[in-house]
Amino acid sequence: MQRRNFLTRLMLAGGAFTLGPACGRRINLEQTESSEANGDLSLITGNRITEPERQIPVLAETDVLVIGGGPSGAAAAIAASRTGAETWLVERYNHLGGLWTGGLVLPLLSTHGVDKENNRRQVIHGIGGEMSQRLKAVGMSIDEINPVIDPEAAKYVIEEMAREAGVKVLYHTWCANVIMDGPTIQGIFVENKSGRMALLAKVVIDCTGDGDIFHWAGDSYDLMKYHIGLVHRLGNVDRIDTGKPGYQPMSLGEPTPVPGVGWVNMRGKDDQNGVDALTLSELQTEYRLKIWEDVQKIRQTPGHEKVFLLDTASQLGVRVSRILEGEYRLSLEDSMTYKSFDDVIGICGAWTTMLYKGKRVAPAQRPMWQIPYRSLLPKKTENLLVAGRCFSYERDLVEDGRIIGTALITGHGAGAAAGLAIKERESVKNIDADKLKKLLKAQGAWLG
Amino acid sequence: MKRHLFTSNKIRLVSSALAVVFALPLFWKGLAGLYTWFSPFILLHSVIVLKSFVWMNFPGMVVLVFSFMRKRWFCRYMCPVGYGCDLVSKYSIRRNFKLSRVPDFSKGLAIASLVAAAAGLPLFILLDPMALFHGFFSVFSGNKPFWVIVSFSGLPVLLAIHLFIPGVWCARICPLGGLQDLFGMARQTIRKTRSEKKRNSEFKGSGRRLFIASGLGIASGLLIPRYLHTSSYQRIRPPASLPSDLFNVLCIRCSNCVKACPTQIIDNNTDTSDPVAWMTPVVHFENSYCLENCNFCGRVCPTGAISPFSIDAKKKIVMALAVVHLEACLLTKRSECDRCKEACKYDAIKIEYLAEKNQMAPVVDNDKCIGCGACAVICPPFTIDMIPPEEIGF
Repeated sequence: MQRRNFLTRLMLAGGAFTLGPACGRRINLEQTESSEANGDLSLITGNRITEPERQIPVLAETDVLVIGGGPSGAAAAIAASRTGAETWLVERYNHLGGLWTGGLVLPLLSTHGVDKENNRRQVIHGIGGEMSQRLKAVGMSIDEINPVIDPEAAKYVIEEMAREAGVKVLYHTWCANVIMDGPTIQGIFVENKSGRMALLAKVVIDCTGDGDIFHWAGDSYDLMKYHIGLVHRLGNVDRIDTGKPGYQPMSLGEPTPVPGVGWVNMRGKDDQNGVDALTLSELQTEYRLKIWEDVQKIRQTPGHEKVFLLDTASQLGVRVSRILEGEYRLSLEDSMTYKSFDDVIGICGAWTTMLYKGKRVAPAQRPMWQIPYRSLLPKKTENLLVAGRCFSYERDLVEDGRIIGTALITGHGAGAAAGLAIKERESVKNIDADKLKKLLKAQGAWLG
Repeated sequence: MKRHLFTSNKIRLVSSALAVVFALPLFWKGLAGLYTWFSPFILLHSVIVLKSFVWMNFPGMVVLVFSFMRKRWFCRYMCPVGYGCDLVSKYSIRRNFKLSRVPDFSKGLAIASLVAAAAGLPLFILLDPMALFHGFFSVFSGNKPFWVIVSFSGLPVLLAIHLFIPGVWCARICPLGGLQDLFGMARQTIRKTRSEKKRNSEFKGSGRRLFIASGLGIASGLLIPRYLHTSSYQRIRPPASLPSDLFNVLCIRCSNCVKACPTQIIDNNTDTSDPVAWMTPVVHFENSYCLENCNFCGRVCPTGAISPFSIDAKKKIVMALAVVHLEACLLTKRSECDRCKEACKYDAIKIEYLAEKNQMAPVVDNDKCIGCGACAVICPPFTIDMIPPEEIGF
């Protein structure tokens, strides 16, 4: 035998010898238990999993980070960006305007309130007022008081304003968690098609509507269960043949700026938890089926054959869920008594009938009411502002706290305050109220 | 001349001034019509008809005891009507009018009324001077229609009579005075049996008249209620009110409840189809509703036609029922509204899916609804009606 062959066989035999133990490799119970220490593998205990440690890339470091691109988030981002602060906006859908546009909550409620001289006058100015004016300019807004707008036009108008202001919008991105350092938010974990990433910011504005950010940051809040619905629109509502035998008038919704299109509100079930994923999923299925069946009933009614379901809202109409318990909680009493605040950031109107001191107060008689800056500030977290339907108010004010107009006003106030805090190198909790009011007025806001 | 600071007339002047202050519809809601509680005539009717006391009957009982000790104590020291009558009598155009020409009705009225009350009908309770007095002052609470003002003009009419017949009310008609005289008689009788004193001539020969009066009283108490037919009319009364048949006759129309109601939902009934209920308090919900933390009407009613009730008990006391007419309801038109549900402090309205409407709609729970009217007041299209509870079988 040649020396070369012998060596080859020896190596093969050696290899075969080591193969056996290698094939038998398996993870034993003891090994799994010890993995807790090095964090290599998930530990499943009961129905909970400890997430393994991992490195997350930082997408950007910015001055102002706005979470949620609804009316409040868009107004906040535009206001902050206009002060010169670098502003990022995180939005989970593919459009700005949130429930106002994609959610098909088309009436811009409470543009008007009654002043002390008993005149009903417009209160929505500033960035919200600008949006409203631009919509009117493109002919996509009907009615003077509480105008009904077209959702696609509003998406365009808000997008345009955000682009003009230089807001960096991150679409299709869901905010996943906060990065805390004591009482300060360092940044936000977001998730999207690129995976998990972090956005670091000096000031964070919670415009999620559900208060996701202050919930994770550990601030106290009131979780209100309320009606959740799903709005839809009907097409061809003007092409009804009333002369057809068997014709019956059907409810075809409210008029919109687009001829032939009606928007149909849905009150939906009461006492629903808007931050419970299973509830939302169940309601989504139920409502989608119901809307389709309702529209089929309309189509089967003689004369209504041409009516069709144009679209359903891109998200459920969660009216309210978490409400912040902030530095100041607005109440119905405040809204009825013209309570004035030194740190006013905007003035809101009212749209629904209320009982006050035993008396009925109709919408056209409801006083305008001021929003103090303190109602946007959480008690605990340092560099967080809250705007939109989750800002700080008592439950008796929920009807007027949760609507589009109030979201626009609080959004503008929060955005301007964040911009001022960056400019002054000051904490949002310590900024000067007079400077903020001056800035807001310069941005077109009306403070009475 | 020695001036007496505490002559009976001066005390009566102060008392009358106080009575006017408490009778006016001012801000002390719980003390509205305080002086109605001092009348032993009202007190006895209330106790005889309802067979029960309340704490506020105590002042009336004190007056009762005093008038037993002293002749016409209430008239001399407290009565504002008597003070007014005496004042007007001074300016009478027939100052030398002989009062003895007028027969004395007061004791007869008092005894007939009390005996009738025992049979279930407080016959002359409306003639109580405190009732007339307090009714008149309710004219000053808000805008009253002409017929209400006319109906409550008993006090000015009474005073005007004294311009022509001075002193006639107190000495000859007033059943409250007559009641005190009866007590005086009883005292005389007791004295007589104890000390064999000579019989007072004042009461001579009145026994037969009083016997006839009580006979008439019991007859009217037994017979009249059958012809009143009050229970066929259903009205929304203040909470804890008696049934209509008893309410209409026991209510003295003092309007204390009308004055006390902080939201002014209680008004005097002006429905001419039911004259027995004329001027009794009825509730209307046009402008406001029955506040959940208020029980003033029960506290100020001196007869117990509205019984006192605690705030806790209020959620069990049904005064009316809410009926939602869904044709006009904003929710069934898919508008954004839940005002009735939010306004309801008794959790009686739920917004539920109604299959026949294929819509969400407010549903009233009749077991929880007490008929406070908050939903009817707040409802933007005014599509909620309040109905008397009897109408659906309570």
